[in-house]
Amino acid sequence: MEDHLQNLYEVLSKIEGYVYPNEIELNWSILIVLYPYITGLVAGAFILASLERIFKIKVLKPTYGIALLTAFSFMLVATMPLVSHLGKPLRAYEIMITPHSSSAMAIFGFVYLWYLMVVLFLEIWFDYRRDMVIWGNESKGVKRFLYKLLSLWTTDISPKAVALDDRIGYIVTVIGIPSAFLLHGYVGFIFGSIKANPWWSTVLMPVIFLFSAMVSGIALVMIIYIVLTKIRKQLLDMDCLDTIAKYLFYILIIDFALEGLDQIHRIYVAEESFEALHALVFGKLFYTLFIYQGLLGTIVPLLTLGTLQFYKPKPQIRKVIYIILPILVLMGIFFMRWNVVIGGQLFSKSFYGYTTFKTGLIGMEGYLMAATWLIIPFLILSFLLWLLPPWRKIETSHE
Amino acid sequence: MPQHIKRLLGVFAIFIVLFLVMRQVLKPSSFGKLGHFRADAIYENTLKPMHYTVADSCTKCHRTIRTEKDKGFHKNLKCEVCHGPGLKHSLFAGQFKVGELPDSLKLNKPGERKDCGVCHQKNAARIKILFDTINTTMVRQIDLAEHNPPDLKANEPANCIDCHNPHQP
Repeated sequence: MEDHLQNLYEVLSKIEGYVYPNEIELNWSILIVLYPYITGLVAGAFILASLERIFKIKVLKPTYGIALLTAFSFMLVATMPLVSHLGKPLRAYEIMITPHSSSAMAIFGFVYLWYLMVVLFLEIWFDYRRDMVIWGNESKGVKRFLYKLLSLWTTDISPKAVALDDRIGYIVTVIGIPSAFLLHGYVGFIFGSIKANPWWSTVLMPVIFLFSAMVSGIALVMIIYIVLTKIRKQLLDMDCLDTIAKYLFYILIIDFALEGLDQIHRIYVAEESFEALHALVFGKLFYTLFIYQGLLGTIVPLLTLGTLQFYKPKPQIRKVIYIILPILVLMGIFFMRWNVVIGGQLFSKSFYGYTTFKTGLIGMEGYLMAATWLIIPFLILSFLLWLLPPWRKIETSHE
Repeated sequence: MPQHIKRLLGVFAIFIVLFLVMRQVLKPSSFGKLGHFRADAIYENTLKPMHYTVADSCTKCHRTIRTEKDKGFHKNLKCEVCHGPGLKHSLFAGQFKVGELPDSLKLNKPGERKDCGVCHQKNAARIKILFDTINTTMVRQIDLAEHNPPDLKANEPANCIDCHNPHQP
């Protein structure tokens, strides 16, 4: 077969019905699925930390430090899927040096920077400063240098200075909550404001993204806490886990209600795009939407967590539940992002046809690249936990 | 102010100053001169070789065709839409006698069925955009397989221009 006919055959085998030529290939691939996913984990983990700090839910104390460090590790990587998705990654900085107020993505750069530097960095710094000063005096070699560098060679750990740190840390967390909402609401806004795409264009999108972010972040911290405690051969604080599960349950209800509302609204209004979307969700998105996101990622965790609110099995059984549930929830939220990002590009804006998403294992936009950006935050977290172990901190009451 | 707060503020100040300095260094020198973009980009684009001319330059020599075309449906089409880029032709063709034009100055003379099909072949997308909604820019849609199909046995091409004058279809 001639070359161009072979190419045409391959292209046509990907599409059903009529699609515009620029809709055959998906421009936003798995890396763009990861971007809201990782950003959501950051916002969610931070909200969990603020529950302890601002809302004084003291039983969550064991997860406070872990949640903060988790948020910070994932935040450092949050923009990397976007950068590696660019055709010219070395030009990525230009979005920061010549931003335009009409560009949603350019302003995101500053929202991101604000959250990373002013919220996460400052909160962790004020929380750890006294300990870093003490550990700096106790350690040797590189570690000593790192502590001295991170504490900016300060030495003042008088009760007055520590009390000031605590006060400023508290204020930073108070600022941090709306900032976390802003950060992830913004990611939802970027999708929700694409008015040409009926699968994305809804004012509910920022709110849905926000609550699914909280769900995923809480689930992530839950599983990291369990794994860390097992590695350290310590006893799990079941009260703490029960409380996290309770909040996970509440926020999952809100998330489920919002997404349900969005879909019911879409079904009731039944705009001109409805038939195309109907065929999409029952066709190409059936498994990822109904099975992975809906059934395994939402309904099963909701029913299980709901049951746990009035019937408490033995701790041994609860532990197993608390390991399996966060994994299901994390998978569900991943597929929620998948359904939004990939699903929104699978149907033609002519509403007459569909294309197919295919990506390889290797390459700039392949699965290995995506896996890399999911693994690196855990490596950063391991390093941070080695350098700044929350369990070695001097107990403070955060009053 | 306590010592550690001063140092922290110092670090942030250094960071902000560094950012502003880097911004000045990295920002293209012509950025912002004419608007929110690199003004040199316009200049760089003017350095690219030109290929197309203006419609009037065809009329200088081909007045009769222009008059003919102005009466038909194709009056709003530029000559170069069918005949290809004509800058070189318009500049140098006048120096040659009729019939002595070198190949490098000759323009396209599209006359086959597929050439007209570029715009007129029936197309699902085109119907929705051009036929249904905006009648003024309607482009006649023809099914090339059905409309006066070529007789394969007689080996005659049956080109559109056999019946339709492309300058006044």
